[in-house]
Amino acid sequence: MDTRRPSYRLDLVVLDRIERLSETQFVYLMLLPVLLVLGSMAIWPLLYTANLSLHADNVLSPDLVGGFVGLQNYIDLLTGRANPILRRPFFDLSRPFRSAVPVTLLFTLGAVVMETILGFAMALVLDQRFRGRRFARVAMILPWAVPIVIQGMIFYLMFQPSIGFAVGPLNDLGLISASPLANSQDALLISILADIWKQSAFMALLILAGLQSIDRSLYEVAKVEGASRLQRFRTITFPLVLPALLVALLFRTIAALKVYGVVETVASCNTVPTVSCLVVTTWNAHRYGSAAAIAFLVAIAIGLLLLIYLVQFRGEEGGGLGV
Amino acid sequence: MREDNEDTERNLIQQYARRAIERPESAYRVLLYVVTAFFLLASLFPFYWLFVIAVTPNRSIVDMGLLPKGFHPSVFVEVFETIPFHIYMLNSAIIATLTTIVVLFVGSIAGYVFGRYDFPGRTPLLLVVLVISYFPGVAFLIPIFQLFTANIEFLGVQSPMLYNTPWSIVMPLSALTMPLIIFLLSTFYAQIPDGLEDAARIEGSTRLGALVRIIIPLSAPGFATAGILSFIIVYNEFFFSYLMVSGTGDWSPILHGIFQFQGSQQVAYDLMAAASIIGVVPMAILVMVAQDYIVSGLTQGALKE
Repeated sequence: MDTRRPSYRLDLVVLDRIERLSETQFVYLMLLPVLLVLGSMAIWPLLYTANLSLHADNVLSPDLVGGFVGLQNYIDLLTGRANPILRRPFFDLSRPFRSAVPVTLLFTLGAVVMETILGFAMALVLDQRFRGRRFARVAMILPWAVPIVIQGMIFYLMFQPSIGFAVGPLNDLGLISASPLANSQDALLISILADIWKQSAFMALLILAGLQSIDRSLYEVAKVEGASRLQRFRTITFPLVLPALLVALLFRTIAALKVYGVVETVASCNTVPTVSCLVVTTWNAHRYGSAAAIAFLVAIAIGLLLLIYLVQFRGEEGGGLGV
Repeated sequence: MREDNEDTERNLIQQYARRAIERPESAYRVLLYVVTAFFLLASLFPFYWLFVIAVTPNRSIVDMGLLPKGFHPSVFVEVFETIPFHIYMLNSAIIATLTTIVVLFVGSIAGYVFGRYDFPGRTPLLLVVLVISYFPGVAFLIPIFQLFTANIEFLGVQSPMLYNTPWSIVMPLSALTMPLIIFLLSTFYAQIPDGLEDAARIEGSTRLGALVRIIIPLSAPGFATAGILSFIIVYNEFFFSYLMVSGTGDWSPILHGIFQFQGSQQVAYDLMAAASIIGVVPMAILVMVAQDYIVSGLTQGALKE
């Protein structure tokens, strides 16, 4: 080290040190901020939650949780023994619309299936050239950019019995009850509708990306060969867009399994008790051990889903989550 | 007269039918317009419904049809007179901006490293980042709430009381928005040719110098996309925005503002609807101005993940 170098240029010294690092050292130095943020706000909380979930609830004393109970919270939840202490049962097939797991699965199934169909159709439309396409695209993206609370408010105002235009006619047809937002089954349906309205556009954008990456000359070849529009769709469009479709499907499925905001604004967590809702109500009741166990069960379910997807589509070109 | 009309109508339909059979392309065109019209109607009708409720005076909001009962546009001013709704909007904007700054700063460095360097531990680290983005918000809720209500002690230091401040929302959302932004920016950085950076290094530029002079200017479009996306995501977020502030403090975001109208005696439906319209306006402007960035960002970031 040259001792005569003026030491007050601290910035130069630092730059010099950075320059001398090996590449791996440099990389990890650069990653320090992100590791700090993710470590403190994501990884530490997950470990903390995991630990809480292994402890008994403690409703009476000021301590967060009671003693270590191992997997007892999970066993109680999965066998239904925890149901009486929860605001709504975790899993109770005799009351499917009042218990968390069936409600969440029904929500996910209903919303994602419809979003896939509508999103695909929307993407096909947006892939075409027509006058006013940019306007159509803005109009179709707009629901996706609406805050969840406002999305919920819109559907609340549509189906609030005394004001909503939709309640009377639909009730006359026997499709929904007179006060749908207080009825678990109807409120679930309305929440699904609200989700479809907002998220189909997201689905459409992901599928659109897949559509636009298709080599257009394939269509020309097919046309010359005399393939009909339907044949072209079946043999070119669908198989080539499938990877993008699967990624979109995975994204939406996972987001739908976590649903909270829409149901809380449209109806309430008591009427439509999704799993995320149940975590919050259990947490509000100061049953931290049980709340953490439910939260972790959701995380495990999502993790399994992701794992199946990764194993199933690993290495498939463009379709895998190519990390 | 009437028969004439029916005749011409029938003729018209027959004409359309014949043309459709002769030229399937034009029939297809009609189908396209019908489907487009359906989607436009489905997307925009809910906004129209908000407008109907907003301009109808609150006492007349009973058994509404599809048209407003009365016209009362001053409701859009009343929203700000009843509660300081502009403060709630400002809070949401501040929270979204702060989060965007943190995510862009930290995420762009990470995106650069993941996009341009191959190093031991890269794949496992990326996998961790990916997995984090799939955990539900509730899995982070309890510890983060404890942390920000000064209930966690670490090395003898009490955690700060950040509940009811913007940071209690900004920090968890920064972490949860980070994965998407990292994946988005790393694909962006990876597309910049290696030659440019190498040339700068040979010319005597330092590592950080090359980053500042070559990489950052070239990544401006990716930066814009990432910023817009993270702003929209945070502005629209519900979970932490709802639970990490009490709703009565000074830092409540827009959703608490809208809930304010669910008063104890009477629900002000007209104000609620008007506030919802006002709350959507910033997003509508953003989508109109930045639609290309949004589309490219969503598709790139998500599909590469």
